[in-house]
Amino acid sequence: MSPLHAVAAILFLVGVGVVVMGSLLALPLRGPKDRLHALAAMTSLGTPLVTLGLILRHGWSPTSAQVALIGLLVAVTGPVLSSAAARVAGMRDGSVPRETPQ
Amino acid sequence: MNPWLVGDLALLGVAMPVALWIASRGNAIDRLVGLEIGSVVTTIALLAFSQGAGQASYLIVPTVAAILSFVGTLVFARLLAPRR
Repeated sequence: MSPLHAVAAILFLVGVGVVVMGSLLALPLRGPKDRLHALAAMTSLGTPLVTLGLILRHGWSPTSAQVALIGLLVAVTGPVLSSAAARVAGMRDGSVPRETPQ
Repeated sequence: MNPWLVGDLALLGVAMPVALWIASRGNAIDRLVGLEIGSVVTTIALLAFSQGAGQASYLIVPTVAAILSFVGTLVFARLLAPRR
């Protein structure tokens, strides 16, 4: 295994560790707003690390481009989904007015 | 077993049951957060499996999963919003 491939595997495993720890940390938290913080670490830190590891493994190739697309999709849509879920939670518990734009 | 499949196993063996547990308990918003966690874990696990199996063509599955989970979760969020 070349040094670059070893670095790629380490980055991947660290990213997987972040995702696994994020899900485990979300378990004892109470309420959706607290759990969304754990989800943010998974989408904004874990996913880019996994994606970076796979891109390093493949180098400049169409496979890397597709992996980058998937990582970008998850990293961009994750905060949008967290925002939407937090907003609905706020509307249901009364902390966000229902009249705000959708 | 290569590191990619080890990561896949950790995701499917630890993170996915936790996501399923969160998605099956509590009120609707709690379950929605569980669905979001499960979506992220599924996408990463499919990425890892594609690499572990050495089949780049499998990457179309997490691509579609990432897009559909975004749309699906947004629809759930919209439907769970209280009516005016």
